[in-house]
Order: sequence, then structure tokens, then C-alpha cells
Amino acid sequence: MAIRVNPSFIDDLDRFGAEDVQLCYQCGDCSTVCSHADDIFKFPRKSMRQLQMGLEQKIETTLEPWLCYYCGQCSEQCPREADPGETMMSLRRWLISRYDFTGIARQFFKSRIREILSITVVALLTGAFLMFHVLSGGSIHIYDGEGAFLPSPFIHTFDLTIGSVLAVFLLINAVRMWYFTMIRGMSIPVPWWLYLKEFFELPLHFFTQKMYAECENKNEHQVHMPWLIHLGLMLGYVTMLVLVMVFIEPLQAGPEIHWSIHIFGYLATIGLSIGTIYFIRHRIKKENYIQYKKSHSTDWIFVVMLFFIVITGILQHIFHRTGLYEWANITYVIHLMAVTPWLLRMPFSKWAHMIYRPLAMYFAAIQKTAYARQDDLDDSLSVTIK
Amino acid sequence: MKNLRIGVYVCNCGTNIAKIIDAEAVAKYASNLPNVAIAKTYKYMCSNPGQEMIAQDIKDNELDRVVVAACSPNMHERTFRHALRMAGLNQYLLEMANIREQCSWVHKDRKAATKKAMALVHGAVLRVEKHEALESIDVDMSPNSLVIGGGIAGMTTALELADAGNSVHLVEKSDQLGGNVGRVDLTAPYYYSATDLLTDRITRTKSHKKIQVYLQSKVTDLSGFVGNFTANIIHLNGVPESEKTPVEVQIGNVAICTGYKEFDASRVTHYGYGKLPNVITSFELERMLRAGKVETKEGKTPKYVAIIHCVGSRNKEFHTYCSRVCCMTALKYAHEIKSANPECYVSDVYIDMNAFGKGHEDFYLQSSQAKTLFLMYDKENRPVIHKAEPSDDCEMLIEVHEKLSGEHIEIPADLIVLMVGMEAREDAHEIAHLAGISQDKDGWFIESHPKLEPVATTTDGVFIAGTCVAPKDIPDTVAQARAAAARILARIAKGKIEVDAIYSEVNKELCSGCRFCNDLCPYNAIEFIEEEGQSHVISALCKACGVCVAACPSSAIKGRHFTDDQVLAQIDGLFSKVEYELEEQPVK
Ligand SMILES: Cc1cc2nc3c(=O)[nH]c(=O)nc-3n(C[C@H](O)[C@H](O)[C@H](O)COP(=O)(O)OP(=O)(O)OC[C@H]3O[C@@H](n4cnc5c(N)ncnc54)[C@H](O)[C@@H]3O)c2cc1C
Ligand code: SF4
Ligand code: SF4
Ligand code: SF4
Ligand code: SF4
Repeated sequence: MAIRVNPSFIDDLDRFGAEDVQLCYQCGDCSTVCSHADDIFKFPRKSMRQLQMGLEQKIETTLEPWLCYYCGQCSEQCPREADPGETMMSLRRWLISRYDFTGIARQFFKSRIREILSITVVALLTGAFLMFHVLSGGSIHIYDGEGAFLPSPFIHTFDLTIGSVLAVFLLINAVRMWYFTMIRGMSIPVPWWLYLKEFFELPLHFFTQKMYAECENKNEHQVHMPWLIHLGLMLGYVTMLVLVMVFIEPLQAGPEIHWSIHIFGYLATIGLSIGTIYFIRHRIKKENYIQYKKSHSTDWIFVVMLFFIVITGILQHIFHRTGLYEWANITYVIHLMAVTPWLLRMPFSKWAHMIYRPLAMYFAAIQKTAYARQDDLDDSLSVTIK
Repeated sequence: MKNLRIGVYVCNCGTNIAKIIDAEAVAKYASNLPNVAIAKTYKYMCSNPGQEMIAQDIKDNELDRVVVAACSPNMHERTFRHALRMAGLNQYLLEMANIREQCSWVHKDRKAATKKAMALVHGAVLRVEKHEALESIDVDMSPNSLVIGGGIAGMTTALELADAGNSVHLVEKSDQLGGNVGRVDLTAPYYYSATDLLTDRITRTKSHKKIQVYLQSKVTDLSGFVGNFTANIIHLNGVPESEKTPVEVQIGNVAICTGYKEFDASRVTHYGYGKLPNVITSFELERMLRAGKVETKEGKTPKYVAIIHCVGSRNKEFHTYCSRVCCMTALKYAHEIKSANPECYVSDVYIDMNAFGKGHEDFYLQSSQAKTLFLMYDKENRPVIHKAEPSDDCEMLIEVHEKLSGEHIEIPADLIVLMVGMEAREDAHEIAHLAGISQDKDGWFIESHPKLEPVATTTDGVFIAGTCVAPKDIPDTVAQARAAAARILARIAKGKIEVDAIYSEVNKELCSGCRFCNDLCPYNAIEFIEEEGQSHVISALCKACGVCVAACPSSAIKGRHFTDDQVLAQIDGLFSKVEYELEEQPVK
């Protein structure tokens, strides 16, 4: 069966940031330089081609965009300045929108206005809800304990509710991702036990991002910097998420926060602050690293919002510790107004890659083993450039 | 006959010859032959020191014959003739033994090759003994020229010649000047308007005092020889050809610029040209672009346009050559269609992107920037066009195996443009016959040397330029046209032309007037003189091919420099018994 080419797809992907993909003439330099491309995953050259040709069904079922950590070496090498690195990034945005069954992600990626508008609406609703709740009991002068403005059990319930909504969305999308890539995307059967055999890959990639570190082995400029910062930011984020979701009561409690929780809180804050500042700085300067030269609107919203959340969180903590309870309560409301849309947005935004990427690494490992098992790996139809 | 003194010079040609042939042994062998006064080897005989050595030897040793055992005479006979002239010896007292192309390059066995070289030299020595001193002839050069074909090539040649003050007869078959460029809208890669390129040229050609334009005319006869041709031109309209009185013109040189014709797309059945209304050729698209509207037969603006390359070209079934201009022309279409209608998607279905010329690679990049979708197919696996289903958002689908993705795909299309290639005109053979020039297997006229003589032909005084030689774009066509004009102008400036003394002669004593030879001569060099009832070879036209010599039943024709005794002596030498044993260390 012939697959239909869709020449208009390229215009669609333009909105996701793949502005230069049309320039690619398939020389394959990019795949040669990429540390992660191999015989099975022939990106970015192949992805460039599929995108140009609008082979949506193919792209939807491939893991390749997730195997790219955007070190930018391919874009530096490309003789046609087709920016394969940014194209892989755009494909990840597009995949996030494809995995998302609600269609919201697509709207966000395609329109900055829509995204900002919905964030504002959710923030305002959150603010209104909090004020409404508070007015029925708490006092702005009290931060904690009896008559508190935002008592910690209430916040806990609030967090868990949002967390569950988030988890439901993410889980459904992750299942869709699995279905696309592991069922529709595989021409050969995958035995179930391979899922068990390769399971260690999931936490391994999640916590080390070791492929990102490998990326940089070839990079002459600065060793390991983006990887370290990215890892710090991610670990900080996860720590903070766990603290907020599980340990909010001891975290918010009066003057005597337990040291163990305190330490984690500070570490996470350091990771988050350094990370967000580093990324904002590079995106503004557009220097050194090609991956920061082009910023999609969603990239900006991502770092700026996170930075705002970190700042309001820190301020709230300072006010609380210095006894300025009114101020602490006000910043807390503002903080939560940012956190709620942030968390609810997660399955529809760049942040989802935190889940999809390690999943993809895990799936990719399974696929590779499956293919290796298949003796008659039939590659005769394609032109192997790399 | 007095004793001759022959000098034999065996060239090493660097290692080209010496690698396989023991040159010194060959020289030694030659030195023992009768009449050989001197035999030498040298690294590069054609170099200045090599030539000077020969000239010096001729003077010092009173040599009266020279044999050079080296490359093909095609390559360096002129060079060594010059060496003889330098030393005051008649240039025809030279014979070359080709021990490179016909020996060292084609053999591996050193012993056998050396023996063969010895035999070749032996033949040359025996032959050169029979050589006669010949004198080349000078003929007057008429300053008038004939240009056949009024396309961009023909007009350029004519203007160049006329601007230098010479009369030109320009014969064009159709009713207007301009040729195929007149059917083009904008030109690749700089978007100059073809009309603008032509208008100025056409007006100047028509109004030029020195150019006589014959529209709707053709040349029916060309006789004579370089410097002194006579051409007959007839007007094509009105009375039947046989009843027409041709215009007779005297000219010195002829430039043939008859161009090409487009490949007939309906010959490729799987493209459905002629059956599917919206499958059109490049020239049909040019017409639409000129009219300023690209639309389907139903009058709709197409959403998907597909361009298919190499139609009739690079194809075993039709023409194996590349037509050279269609890749860039296709890119030009992609651009023009997209800029006229940004909503339209253009797919370019190609084999290889032939972007060899100046500005072409940038042009290719621009087409990528304009989001042309390039899809690569394999020469052996051509696309096939189907009608789409009513449920599809396009009218047709092109099915093809896409090479770069390895996918079997179908491409949506509402309008399909076939990039038809160029082919030689049907009547090219008539021109070839008329002017005594040859055509290659595809019908293009053959140049006398593909690299060094791209506009000359094997008929002296007949030049070829533009797309009648091979497919090419306008800049290359114009360059060739100017080159042809320059060649002609150089001859006109000289006023006279030297004709090689090697030609055939009819012995009046023996010729019975049977006229056998008249039609056999491939160069139309033999005329029949009615009053004498005998055939006569026009020496300036004769190429010394020898056909008439062999054919004449009365043995009345002698090929000068290729006489029977010369050829037989050479054969004797070739069959002489040669002894040679390999030395211990063969390579020096
Ligand atoms: C679709 C298409 C688009 C093109 N676009 C471009 C472009 O954008 N840029 C570019 O550089 N090139 C382009 N070309 C190439 C261009 O057409 C040629 O380079 C150019 O026409 C060659 O000129 P010519 O004079 O050699 O031949 P022609 O244009 O073929 O002219 C030959 C002339 O000789 C006449 N003739 C033929 N036989 C006889 C005879 N027996 N007696 C008398 N007259 C005779 C013909 O009637 C004609 O007028 C294009 C070609 C095609 C097919
Ligand atoms: S290096 Fe650039 S042009 Fe070459 S295949 Fe990769 S993206 Fe395409
Ligand atoms: S950005 Fe780096 S990891 Fe991604 S495709 Fe390019 S070279 Fe590979
Ligand atoms: S120029 Fe291009 S389209 Fe034309 S024959 Fe050559 S390769 Fe084919
Ligand atoms: S030798 Fe050849 S070219 Fe000369 S007249 Fe005889 S047939 Fe013609």
C-alpha cells in the first residue's frame, strides 16, 4: 500500500517551530554527527524526510524525536542550515500534542495567545476560589495553625486533587504513546517479557539523563554544563513536587520544620533557581549553544512561569520565617495562582517530556532488543545513508 | 633510388609507453633496419626539447625521412610535422607509429607489446621510405557566411559576423525568428524575461544591413568547399518544391544552428499525457505562465501541482542522455507557481538534481526555501499517474517509490507538469547529409573534438552551435554561437585557408566515367565534369577516407599519402619477423 504524502504538513509543523525543515536535502551529515542515531533510529535525517513528506502516521509512531537531547551538533553541521536539532524539538512538541487526547496541547503549541489566556483564566479562578474559601474562615494575619489563612490540610487536599487530575491526564496520554509506538509502530511482535527485562531503563534514564551527558562528549565548547544544569533542574523539580504533594503539612508547619524536609526543600530550590536563571539567560543571549538560539513561545512560557513560581515560593518562605504573615499569605495565594495552571498544563506542555522521554528510552531499548532478535531484519527497501 | 637517411624516434611518453614497452629495445631494433641513420628514445618527444632534438638531428645528420613512434597521429602528427618544417624538411616525409593507444595502453604483456611496437615501427620505416614530398594548397576565403536556423544561436552567430562587417545569409524554417526561446516565459535561474532577451536580437537581426533573413525557407543544396561554398535556398510556401527556383548564394563558411525539438510526452504511456486533461508538458505550462494564469483544464486554481523530471530523458527506452535544462526549469516553475499562489503545494519528483551551472545551486536552495517538496525516484522505477477517488481532495495521484525515505508513496496532484527533454529534430539528418557532417546515436551533430573543438565539424568550414549539438541552456548556446562566429571571423581575417595535401586524385587516363565514386563519397567531394565525362575530386573537400580509391573499378583514383605502395610497404613491415627477449629488470 502506498502512503499518501501530505505536502501541507510542513506548514502545520511551522507553528511548532520547524521553520527550516524544507531546506534539508538529505545529505545525512546530521545523522553522522549525532551521538544517538544508529542503524535502527536514523534520526534526524529520516525525521526531516518524514516531516517534509508529511508522513504523519509514521512520525506519530516513532520514538526518534525523544531520543534526541538537543545538543545541537547536527544543526551546527548541517550544510543547508535546516536546523535538524530544532526540528527534532518541534517534533517533540508535535508528539506531545498527538499523545494528548484532549487536543488542548495542540492549541497551546499553535497559539501563544490561547495559552496565555487559559493560564490567566485558571490563575484567576484559583485566586477566586482561594479567596472565597478563606473568606469563610481564615484570617490574613495567621499563617499557620488555628484560624490560618490557608491551613495546610486544606492545601494538601487541594494539591492532591490537582495532582490526581494531572495523573489521569498523563496516564491516558502515556498509554496512548505506548499504543502508538509499541503497537502501531512495530512491524514485528514484541514479547511481553522484554518489558520486564528492560524495565531498569526507565528509572535509569529518568534520574541520570545519561544520554544527554553522552551527547556532549563530542561537543568541544563546554563540557557537561547544559546536562548538569538540566539534571539539577529536573531533580529539583521532582523533589519539590514530592514535597508539595506528600509532605506539604510538615513543610508548611510553623517554625519547627523538620531538618530533613528543610534540607530537601533548600536543595530543590537551589536546583530550580539555578536552572531557570541559566536557561532564561541563555535564551536571551542566544550564544554558545545552538539549542537556545531559537525559542518557541512555549519555551518562554515554560521557563518564565517556573521562575515566577520559584520566586514567589522563596518570598513566601522568607516572609513566613521572618513573621510577616500577611505578606506570606498574599504571596502564597499568588504562588498558588501560578502553580495551579502550571500543574494542570503539564500534560499539554513541554513539561510532559519529563515523562515521555524516559518512557521513550525504555520503549526504544525494548524495540532494539526486539529487532535484534528478529533475524531477518529486512532493510532492503530503504536507502541506508546512515 | 638514392640511399635514404631515416631518423627513428621512440617516445617513452613518461611511463605511458615505457611502462609496458622496452623503448630502448625498440630503438635498437629500428637502428638495425636498412636506411635508418639514427634511432633515439626520449622521455617526452612532443615537448619542446624533443621537437628541437628531431629538428637538430635532421640538420646535423642530413635526415630525409622521420619516423616517430609515440601516440596517435590524431594527437601529435601536427606537432612533429612542425618539427620537420623547422628543419626545412617537407612535412609529409613523416610517419608516426602509434605505440601508445594501439599498443602500450591496450596490452599487459611486456614482451609481446615490445615485439608489436617493433613491428609497428618496422612498418612505419618501410612506409616512410615511399613517402613523397607534398605541398598543401591555399584557397581563397569568401567573407560571406550562411547561418542555418534563426533561434538564439543562429541570430547570435549572424549578428556577431555581421557586426564585424561581413554579409550573412540567415535561413529560418519557420515564419519567425527566436526558435524555442520564444516559447519560454521567464528564464532560469535569474528570471530574465525570454521575450526581452529575444526582442532586441530579433529587431537587430532583421534590420541589420549585412544580414539577409530568409524566413520560411530552407537550404536545399550545399556544394563547394571551405571558403567557396555555394548554397541553394528555397522559400517553403506556395508552389511545390520541385518547381521552385532557388536563390543561390556564395559563402565561405556555414554555421548550423538548427536547435532541438521537445520530446513527445505521449510516448510515455504511464503518464497518461493526452488522456488525462491535467497532465501537461513544460511548454504548455510556459504558455500558461505567459498568459499569467496557472489553472486546470476546468478553470480551477490547482491546490497541488506536481512536476515530474526526466520525461524522455535518462531513460533506456527513449533517450539515455540528460537534457540539462529541465531541472532548473522545473525549479523555476516551482517558484513561479508558488509565488503566484502561495496556497498551492508543489511537489518536485526528480531523479537527481542537475544544478551544475552558475547560480544553479543557489536557485535550488531558493526552491527549498519556498517549501517545494522534493521527492526522489529511481531511474529504473518511474512514477505512474492514476486518477484519484472522488473522496480525495485532489484529482490525480502519482505513485512512486521514494528513494530517500524508502517509502512507496502517492503524491496528490491537480496539475502535473512533465519536464519533456530535448531531442534532435527529425530533419537533422537532412542537414547532416547536406553539409557532410555526422550525427551521433541520438541524432545530435558531432563536433570534431568534444573537448578541444566543440563547434567545428569534420567538414572544414562547417560549424555547429547551440542545441543542435547537444542539449544546453541559453548561456551555453550563446557561448557556442559566439565561438562559432569567432572561428569564422578568424578565417575571414586570414583571407586564405590552407588545405591539407592529403586527398585523392583521379587519374584522367584511367577514369572511365562510371560515376561509381560520386555517390559513395561521404563528404560530397567528388563532382562529375560533364564536358569531360569524368569524375573529379575537389581536393579541399576530400577527407582522404579512401572509399573512392577502393571502389573505383578502373583503379583510377589514388589517395595521396595513402598510395598502394605506401600501404603495402607498411604491411610488409608489420609482418616482419621480430625477435625480442625480456631483460632481467624490465622497469627503468
Ligand atoms: C521547457 C523549456 C524551458 C526552457 N527554459 C530555459 C531557461 O529558463 N533558461 C535557459 O537558459 N534555457 C532554457 N531552455 C533551453 C532553451 O530553449 C535552449 O537553450 C535554446 O532554445 C537553444 O537555442 P537554439 O538556437 O540552439 O535552438 P532553437 O531554439 O531550437 O532554435 C533553432 C531554430 O532553428 C530553426 N530550424 C531548425 N531546423 C531548421 C532547418 N532545417 N532550416 C532552417 N531553420 C531550421 C528552428 O525553426 C528554430 O527557429 C528551455 C528549454 C525548454 C525545453
Ligand atoms: S545535515 Fe541538514 S541537509 Fe543534511 S540531512 Fe541533516 S538536516 Fe538534512
Ligand atoms: S540535537 Fe543532538 S541529539 Fe538531537 S538529533 Fe541533533 S545531534 Fe542528535
Ligand atoms: S536536466 Fe534534470 S530533468 Fe532534465 S533530463 Fe537532466 S536530470 Fe532530467
Ligand atoms: S577519399 Fe573519401 S573523401 Fe576523398 S573523394 Fe574519395 S570518398 Fe571522398
